[in-house]
Formats: sequence, structure tokens, C-alpha cells
Amino acid sequence: MSLLEIKNLHASVAGKEILKGITLTLEPGEVHAIMGPNGTGKSTLSNVIAGREGYEVTKGEVYLDGKDVLAMEADERARAGIFLAFQYPVEIPGVTTSAFLKTALNAKRRHEGKPEIDAMEFLKLVKAKTEKLGMPYDMIKRALNVGFSGGEKKRAEVLQMTMLEPRVAILDETDSGLDIDALRVVSEGVNSLRAPERAFLVITHYQRLLDYIVPDHVHVMAHGRIVESGGKDLALRLEAEGYAKYINAAA
Amino acid sequence: MTKSLILDHPFGASYAKQLGVAPWSGNLPGPKVEDWRFTPLRPLAKIPFAPAAADVDVDAIPRNVPTVPGAARIVLVNGLYRKDLSDKALGKGIALSQVRVQAKQGSSLVALNAAYAPESVAVHVSGAAAKIIHIVSIGAAGAQPTALHPRITITAETGASVTLVESHVGLPGQAYFSNPVASISVGEGASVRRYVSVDEDSEAFHLATSLVTVAAGGTFEAFHLGLGGALTRQEIRVVLTGENATVKLNGAYALGGQSHHDFTTVMDHAVPNCVSSQVFKGVVDGQSRGVYQGRIHVARDAQKTDARQLHKALFLSRGPQIDCKPELEIYADDVQCAHGATTGEIDPDHMFYLEARGIDPDTARALLVEGFLADAVNEISVEPVRDLFGNAIGTWLKTRGAA
Repeated sequence: MSLLEIKNLHASVAGKEILKGITLTLEPGEVHAIMGPNGTGKSTLSNVIAGREGYEVTKGEVYLDGKDVLAMEADERARAGIFLAFQYPVEIPGVTTSAFLKTALNAKRRHEGKPEIDAMEFLKLVKAKTEKLGMPYDMIKRALNVGFSGGEKKRAEVLQMTMLEPRVAILDETDSGLDIDALRVVSEGVNSLRAPERAFLVITHYQRLLDYIVPDHVHVMAHGRIVESGGKDLALRLEAEGYAKYINAAA
Repeated sequence: MTKSLILDHPFGASYAKQLGVAPWSGNLPGPKVEDWRFTPLRPLAKIPFAPAAADVDVDAIPRNVPTVPGAARIVLVNGLYRKDLSDKALGKGIALSQVRVQAKQGSSLVALNAAYAPESVAVHVSGAAAKIIHIVSIGAAGAQPTALHPRITITAETGASVTLVESHVGLPGQAYFSNPVASISVGEGASVRRYVSVDEDSEAFHLATSLVTVAAGGTFEAFHLGLGGALTRQEIRVVLTGENATVKLNGAYALGGQSHHDFTTVMDHAVPNCVSSQVFKGVVDGQSRGVYQGRIHVARDAQKTDARQLHKALFLSRGPQIDCKPELEIYADDVQCAHGATTGEIDPDHMFYLEARGIDPDTARALLVEGFLADAVNEISVEPVRDLFGNAIGTWLKTRGAA
């Protein structure tokens, strides 16, 4: 069984059709990249899969391990193993990163029939993960994303991903706003999570990220459809040629 | 006086006769009294309250009274000091006595208390108190609606330092009305931290007045929590009487059902070079109503005053109501004063972020509400107390569906 199956997905925002029939299959262990010009529906695709309100699916299906994703609420999808690394992680004053992480982790553990993690075990786990990502451990005492730099926010997203160990991770323009050092750290974090049972959907505008997170498949999205698919070489070609031909093709 | 300025009330001659004291000659404020515009007392005035019995059998402290680590407890039942329920050893620096309440001028509720309070529990602090003092006031109604008039006097000598926690609770049963008055005197260079939790029974009325004076170089830090009751008002009047005094007055309320909670503060800068700050935050659900009235008064001579005030409320549904009235009365010209007030709802982007991490909507909302209240709660400088108050809010959030 495929890990994530997206079949002929159509979705609208405020009555305007953005996704016009996306079909995509992720097998376990694979990394897929979706590239394309701005405003083409890449972020809409990630939000629709994650279950954000305000996106209306008008047609099509999404399955995770054969389970109907579109029938689940956003929190159920996350517990089932879908993780969206946000392009713009929100700042939430008053909620500490630590309380948030622990709540999220325990929600997942309960879902899997495991007991809640005890406080000491949790702190040990966070300490190990933050060290690996080169993050100051004290960061978890701070309010979630509040006052974090762009790089810190993205690192925090990867920290959450490593804690929650999703089946499918969707990285929505994770490279935006990152300098080259932060990009490397974030990519290393992602790469360390690559595993035979896990798949990644990496959404990006630039080829640069794919130098670090090397995809198995690259898809070009334009005007709400996947217009071309290929191997990692496709990303290099796009970098050289730009998106002009895809934009013009449908215009 | 017209009917709308005063209310008929049950605290007259027959009430006084049961206590064997002279009757209160005052009146309850009516709906046209500006300070009481948002908190009508008619529902209270209609109930035929009787004075609380002195010898109520209370063998256990109610469950919602927290255990403050390392604290010494002073327990009042129906306003009376109960030696049998209180700790014997209050630790170094604390002297406890019971004194007769002198009737004196004040607001009608302070005068009502003075008329009927049997005695005041007086805590005298010298030097640095070794223990946190935890005052527990329990309302225990009998077979009929009951009123109680707890009176607390705190005197911190020059240079003294103390942390006080106050829990106002009640036993379920008949409606009761608690009318506590606390007089707090912070001496020169003294430091008083006072953390008050009002978590009364859902049928209870609680109209509290705190009268605080802070002398030169003194520090007063207070946090007040309101978690329900039918009708609660915490009125806090602070006068900064000496230069270089500092006051931090903060509070939070979390209301559901039909609860009504009113924070009324008066910050009176009588002298120059003092600093005061206020952060009040509230969450409202159900058909509840939250009130914040905050007045800052800066006297003509009180130059270099720095006075700030903030009230923020969060609506959890469309049913509740919030009334907010900040007032600045500034007669000095070289001052910094600021006030702010906002209301809002939970941000759907925040909700989605938490849900996208597998957190169910109820838990996500609870986390966000605790987070919203946190910047008031986090002002509590004594860590174990901060945790207790945080936990009390957490418990409220978990059970509010059942309220």
C-alpha cells in the first residue's frame, strides 16, 4: 500500500478553484519535491492535506495508509501521522514551547495506546533533540516561536517533527527566510529523519534546498496542476531555465 | 435619596439584633451609583441573609483550597478565627492577634463589615517572615442564606517582608454572602506580597474590599484571581503615601455559566516618585459577565509618577459581556501614565497550529487560554504560588464544561 495517495484533488478558497486535479503518490522512504512559481497552489496543497479551515475540497481523495484523510479533522490527521512544517510558524504568547511539545507528544502517545511520557523522560528527550539541532535547550522555556528569528522558527519546526516522528512530513517553503547556515542545520535535521517507513513532501520555490535534501522525485506545479515530473535533475533544469515556460503555457 | 441610588437590604435592625450589636446605618449602593453601574446588587439585596453562626462544625478544609508548600495556615470560618483549624506555629517574624474592629468611615461595604465583623484577625510582621502565611476564609452557610464579614489586618513594620496567600472558599449549600475587608499597611522599606484567590461556591456572593497603604520605599505586589461565584467584586484601593514606593497589582479572572466578576481598582499616587503597574486579564464563557474598572489618581504634587494599567479580555463564546472603564485623573504635569484595554477571541491560526500537531480542539483552546492569562499570572514572583494559581486556572479550564 502506498503511504500517501492524492487522487485528482480539487480545492477552492473563497469560491475560487486553486487545485485543479492533483494526483500524487508517495511510497514509504521517498522524498518528493514540489516546485513551481508563486501563486500556483503549492501552499494550498499542503494546507488542504493538513486540514486547515477555509479550504474546500470539491473533488478527489487523499489516503494515508489507506485511511481517508479528508474525513478526519486536522488534529486527527496529525495524530495519524501527517506533519506540516509551516512556512510561517505563528507566535503564541504565554504558551511555552515545552508545554506545547509535551501536550502534542502525549496526544500522539495516547492515540497509539502508549502511556503519557513522564517529566524526566520528556526533558531528556528534548535535550537530546535540541542538541542535535544545535538549538539552545533554554529555548523550550520560551513562549512558542515568540521573538524567534526566522531560522529559529524553522529549527523549532524541525524539532517538533523529530519529536513527533510523523509518517508523512510536508515542508512548506521551509527554506524561505533562511540563511545558508540555518538552511544546512534544518536540512540535516530533516535528513536525519529520512527512514524507510517515512515520506517527505518538500515544497519549495528554489532549487537550493534540494542540494541539501536530495529528492527522489521532483514535480512542477503550475496553475493548480502538476505539469511535469522527473528525477532530481529536473530541479537543476528548472534552476537554469526558470518557470517561464510553465507560466506561459497555461496563460 | 432616590430609589436608584440605594437599595433596601436585609442587614438592618433585625440582622443586628441577632448579633446583639448596633445596626448598620448605611445602605447598599443602587444601580445609579456610578461605581456600581456594571455590578448591580439587587439580586443580593433581595436575599434574606442571616448572620453566620459562630460555632459551625467544619472538620475539613474544602478541596479547592491549595496546599501552599511551607506555609502556615490561618483559618477563618464565617469570619471568625478558628484556632482548632489553624497552625500553631506561624514562624519567626509573625505575631497574630484578634482585635475589635473600630467602626469608621469608608465605602458602604467597608462600613457594613465594620458594623458586623466580630473581630479582626491581625497579622503583625517584623523583619523577614520565615513562612508564607496562608489565610483561608471559609463560608459555611447554615439552613438559611448566611452572611459573613471577615476582617483581616496586615501590618508590615519598617523593613519587614512577608508573603501572604489568601483563599476565599465556601461549603456548598445555601447561598452565602462574604463581605471581607482587608486593611494592609506596608511600612517604610517593607515588602508585602499578597496573592488572593476567590473560588467561591457557584451560588455565593463575594464583595471584597482591600485597603492598602504603601509607605516610602515600600513594595507591594499583589495578584488577585477570580474563578466564579454568582457575584464577585474584588475592589482594591491602594494609596502610595511615601516616595519611591512600588506597587504591582495584577489579576486574572476566568468565568463561565452565569458568573459575574468585577475588578475595581483605585491607584492613588499621593506623593512623587512612585511606580505602579497593573495587568488584569480575563476569559469569559457561557453567559458570564466581567467588569474591570481601574482608576489612577495622581495628586498635584506627585511628580515623576509612573503609573500603568492594562486590561485584556478573551471571549470564549458569544454569550458573555465585558465592561471596562479605565479612568486617569492626573493633576501633576511631569508623569508617565498609560492605560490599555482590549478584547478579542481566540485566533484561528493559533488553533490550527496546535491542531496540526495533533492537539484536540478542547486541549488546544485550554492551552491558548492559559497562555493568554500567563502574562498576568507570571507576574507572581513567588514560584510555588505562581504554580498553584496556574494549576487553579488549569483546573477551571478542565471543568468549565461541567459548570
